[in-house]
Amino acid sequence: MSDHDSAEGSGHIHLQYQPALPMSNGKVIMWLFLSTEIMFFAGLIGTFIVLRFGSPTGSWPAPHDVHLVEAIGAFNTFVLICSSVTIVLALEAARANKTAQAKLLIIITLALGTLFLLVKMYEYNSKFSHGIYPRKPHSLLYDKADFYYVSAVRDQLQNKRAELDAEENRDDGQLSDVDQKRLDDVDTLLNGLVRWTETRAAGTDDPIEREMVLTELARAIYPKPAHGGHEGEHDWLAARLDRERQELESQLPELEEQQRQLLAEQADPGFASGDPHRIAEVEGRLEVLTTELPMIAARLKAIPLMLEDEHGLNERFAHAGGFRPWLILPMRIPSGNMWASTYFLMTGFHALHVLIGLIVFVLMIPMTLNAAKAGFIENIGLYWHFVDLVWIFLFPLLYLF
Amino acid sequence: MADHSSEIAEHHDDHDDHGGIGKYLAVFIALCILTGASFFTCSDMWPFKDTPSVGWAFMMAVSCTKAMLVILFFMHLLWEANWKYVLTIPAALMSCFLVLMLVPDVGRRTNRYSEERLIHAADPLVHGAGHDEHSDSNHGDHDGDHHDNHDVETH
Repeated sequence: MSDHDSAEGSGHIHLQYQPALPMSNGKVIMWLFLSTEIMFFAGLIGTFIVLRFGSPTGSWPAPHDVHLVEAIGAFNTFVLICSSVTIVLALEAARANKTAQAKLLIIITLALGTLFLLVKMYEYNSKFSHGIYPRKPHSLLYDKADFYYVSAVRDQLQNKRAELDAEENRDDGQLSDVDQKRLDDVDTLLNGLVRWTETRAAGTDDPIEREMVLTELARAIYPKPAHGGHEGEHDWLAARLDRERQELESQLPELEEQQRQLLAEQADPGFASGDPHRIAEVEGRLEVLTTELPMIAARLKAIPLMLEDEHGLNERFAHAGGFRPWLILPMRIPSGNMWASTYFLMTGFHALHVLIGLIVFVLMIPMTLNAAKAGFIENIGLYWHFVDLVWIFLFPLLYLF
Repeated sequence: MADHSSEIAEHHDDHDDHGGIGKYLAVFIALCILTGASFFTCSDMWPFKDTPSVGWAFMMAVSCTKAMLVILFFMHLLWEANWKYVLTIPAALMSCFLVLMLVPDVGRRTNRYSEERLIHAADPLVHGAGHDEHSDSNHGDHDGDHHDNHDVETH
């Protein structure tokens, strides 16, 4: 670049040598860092968007399916907006050399950021306590109700049963009333829900009927809530199970009578020397009845249990008292694992950024926040506004879409 | 080019009067109202319940407006010199490219599922009977009226 004199000599061009951009190095670095951060979060948010909208029709969990509460998200948005205002006011106060006011505003920002993280922790906890984790083995989310899913439900019930049995042995064969009730529930569900479903699903050649039977189990455990006046899954299940209960109740006396008659026939002294075909028929039928009748009884016991809570068995266990539900069964949430991966990744990285901001605010508290520190406050302010900016996009994408 | 020293001086003068608590509070109130506006889309009074894409477009528009308010006023970009374009425009373009580049592999991944993968894919599930929330985004084999999930068996 030409120097000033020669520029002036040319008469109309006034050039001046600038060693750098007309701002502090710190601010340049911060803006460069933020532009890389824009791309970092664009990658995460972009992946979420294409995964969410690229998933097959209807196979992405709605916010309510995964225990997201819009009001909590909106509250957290409000908290971050407030903290953005306080940090920008802190900068103005520092520029005006009002150090005490600047410090107070930084402390308020710190408190608001901490509040945001506490709310986030509460939200994460509500996911964890419902069995929603970003990865296995903790994650209990399944994409569809198939035999793998049913066997996962059975495994979970059997593990709980083994746990309760071990407790029983440890306490010399004595279980508390609560545990005894739980043991009964586990047995009822193992026979009246899992075994019943497996037998019915394996016994039918009709693929649609098989799908319905498996879906019934999934919906009993974790139904989707009704939206906007439309029939919810619980109503669908209640109608189906009620029909089934009536059918079974009408069949039961007939089958019991049949069993009684066959047993009486078998007990007859002349039976053993009678027609061998009839003997085989009676014994075969009795064998079927001795397995079928307890299963029907177990099913009739399980049906009221399945319909007790309109939000499903898992909610029933969750409301049974205690800090955590005593049992969480695997849930069918289509694309639930994909959702959990993206949700925890995005909010986790965002929370990490919030945490870093909070650490800097803590370090700022002993400083004298006067005009000399305005540049520093401006830079951390830029970072904090960026964190707010990311949340502005995360909130509607995660809570409202 | 104008005289740079006077521009810098002007710029510094700017610093003292561009902000102001009144302006920041106005932005704060606008941000709160806009958050309320996107929250409104999930209330019962929102008129476009049957076409979720309207709500999504509305929420994204609201989010972009909020982002612009934060960037322009809280991050002082409105009052910065022209260097702001050098940093923000390429970063914004790169972000868009990044999302677009994910579309073929990730966004359209279900279009070319093998039978094997379809068997293990997520159920296309609908919220409540007869209420297809995602009716506007059809994807390959999965489109059509999947009002219950037994259709999957037929694949």
